[in-house]
Amino acid sequence: MEAVVVDAGSKLLKAGFAVPDQKPSMIIPTQMKRMPEDGSPSETSMTEDITVDPVVRGFIKDWDAMEDLLHHILYNGLGWEIGNEGQILFTDPLLTPKAVRERLVQLMFETFNVSGFYATEQAVLSLYAVGRISGCTVDIGHGKIDIAPVIEGAVQHIASKRLEIGGIELTNLLSQELGKSNPLIKLDISDVEKIKEMYACCAEDDLAYEKMSCQDETHTLPDGQVITIGKERYTVGEALFQPAILGLEAHGIVEQLVRSISTVSSENHRQLLENTVLCGGTVSMDGFEDRFQKEANLCSSAVRPSLVKAPEYMPEDLTMYSAWVGGAILAKVVFPQNQHMTKADYDETGPSIVHRKCF
Amino acid sequence: MYGGDEVSAIVIDLGSHTCKAGYAGEDAPKAVFPSVVGSIDQMEVDDPGTPDKNSGSVQETKSKEKRKLYVGSQALGYRRDNMEVLPTIKDGVVTDWDMVESIWDHALRDCLLVDPKEHPMLLAEPSFNSQQQREKAAELMFEKYNVPALFLAKNAVLTSFASGRATSLVVDSGGGSTTIAPVHDGYVLQKAVASSPIGGEFLTDCLIKSLESKGLNIKPRYAFKRKEIRPGEFQTVDIDFPQTTESYRLYSQRIIASDIKECVCRAPDTPYDETSYSNIPMTPYELPDGQTIEIGADRFKTPDVLFNPSLVQTIPGMESYADIAASARGLPQMVIESINKCDVDIRRELYSSILLSGGTASMQQLKERLEKDLLEESPQAARVKVLASGNATERRFSVWIGGSILASLGSFQQMWFSKTEYEEHGAGYVQRKCP
Repeated sequence: MEAVVVDAGSKLLKAGFAVPDQKPSMIIPTQMKRMPEDGSPSETSMTEDITVDPVVRGFIKDWDAMEDLLHHILYNGLGWEIGNEGQILFTDPLLTPKAVRERLVQLMFETFNVSGFYATEQAVLSLYAVGRISGCTVDIGHGKIDIAPVIEGAVQHIASKRLEIGGIELTNLLSQELGKSNPLIKLDISDVEKIKEMYACCAEDDLAYEKMSCQDETHTLPDGQVITIGKERYTVGEALFQPAILGLEAHGIVEQLVRSISTVSSENHRQLLENTVLCGGTVSMDGFEDRFQKEANLCSSAVRPSLVKAPEYMPEDLTMYSAWVGGAILAKVVFPQNQHMTKADYDETGPSIVHRKCF
Repeated sequence: MYGGDEVSAIVIDLGSHTCKAGYAGEDAPKAVFPSVVGSIDQMEVDDPGTPDKNSGSVQETKSKEKRKLYVGSQALGYRRDNMEVLPTIKDGVVTDWDMVESIWDHALRDCLLVDPKEHPMLLAEPSFNSQQQREKAAELMFEKYNVPALFLAKNAVLTSFASGRATSLVVDSGGGSTTIAPVHDGYVLQKAVASSPIGGEFLTDCLIKSLESKGLNIKPRYAFKRKEIRPGEFQTVDIDFPQTTESYRLYSQRIIASDIKECVCRAPDTPYDETSYSNIPMTPYELPDGQTIEIGADRFKTPDVLFNPSLVQTIPGMESYADIAASARGLPQMVIESINKCDVDIRRELYSSILLSGGTASMQQLKERLEKDLLEESPQAARVKVLASGNATERRFSVWIGGSILASLGSFQQMWFSKTEYEEHGAGYVQRKCP
């Protein structure tokens, strides 16, 4: 039986059997609603009650909810049987505290009784998905942005950066802006999320953004109200390159990338910057990659970042789940060669052995 | 006594240039960031009182007594009006404990994402630290962070452990200063410790002044912008920010200059003199703004300041430092002086195990030059051997790595200074527990 690869993001959870060059079989929202009647949370619910976010900013915060979610995925979604669990590979964001990893290991072996476990960082996996082992990953997710240089499969922690902005901030920005231009309409965050996915795009460069005068589009909300969306669509994309729009004192994303690379020794600069990989949901915005390339030509560095093209045999929207695909590739290498953590290891040494076996 | 089993300790090494922090047991620190703090004094500070601080959050409050502190390379990388860059440690002595607190906060809560209550702390301290500083550090750690256990170890001892020796002479050439300390059986011989203010930052300043005297100006990263005037053609445009403080401009320049220094500078094989190095081929280096500069004799002149501080007087612009240079000694002289202050019996062992550590020590050819100079000046019978690990990263972080090794040893676990002992005996007990 194939190993299972799980990539738990703040918004979407990607899971499936380790078959690379295919989409993960389950891409479901991580957010859950608690139903008081039968007492067990599930994904879709008609009644209005508390939403539960097990994964916040990339890290697992609500362990009970995570357990229920994994239970649903593994047993209902992927068809594992109790008593015959297989091997599982998890992906972690950058700077995961040791305690969080150990707790996950404990959960897997004690509650789910898996036969093998492996955990690795998302940055490395995104590179594997495009067929490289060295390069720079810019992962723009829902809860965080990770910028990580990787050399020969090892993340250079000293130079990597984690920014606490992500799709969530962009959604909030969009709802603020729409609220200003459509003051009479009440907007729900999940509606704004959908509007963002449909309409958000990036201007060609910052001058074009200033002079932008695009026609307004009208959009009908599920409850029948009609809103007009004008320049706000470009504001969302611009915020990544000019964080001052979000009210933050930071540089745009390309500048952050270049600065964090400058701390690595210069012999590696060329290799890192010429193999830049963009991944994460936000990257699929219209015009983002072109804008990124354009900003890259203007940045303050001797070597310009250039983006890597995904191989042709990979599915179309690889950026949405490149970490999962990389995990599937890695799973095919790690598990057959017995480099993973087994139940025997766990029983002998306890959860801390994960730091020695998986990196 | 603290019995730490599964919980791993955290090792923090707050140097004069960079702060290194990470988990014990790992082979490199996870968090490395400059140990300077950007501070903006709010207007109308008539009575400073107790300056409050925020660790880098972006709330604007209109209180009269607040001073906002910005820590970490990300926060410092962004140019802000009127932001002064202040060093936390000057000449090995802590200038302001609030800044130290904000740095520890940043390391623990923002970079490592740990709760200090659950991890014992190993702090690295300079070899000539005063009793008062140690007590203050212990007090701060126990009272503010509620750590379960603490240990203060001297830098030289940790470097010694990192190379597996109990007796050695440690030459720690870091950012702010160079310290020479003999270690015997794991204890620093205090009377023989020598230190000089010439460190990596001093060399970087020499390089900046030397390049300026030749007309090559280093533009800080925030001071220019590239514009595309025609498709495919780019032009660099200068931007002026009049409200930027001098200290910030210097800080940004130093970052670029220290990169130049690391790439291009090498220690010369023989003492530097103007005539022999005047015809040397120039090495090109591309600055961030696209300008390519050629560096010739400075490649060798700057590192030679370590060996011959009086060279500083020949660099125009550095006259203000001439008095520092006059009192400082060259590296080989300091080593020999330090060894001569030790007991005769251990001198032989010290000569044969001289360890190099620190960022500046990873300069190319430094080890060979030091060995050569020492062979000339040392007594005939001594067998001089300078050791340095081959990996530049290991040399730079050798103090931290030694701490990581020490804190994960089984036999060390009983030596921690625990919170109960602190509550019983007070901060003064640290002298007894952490020799």
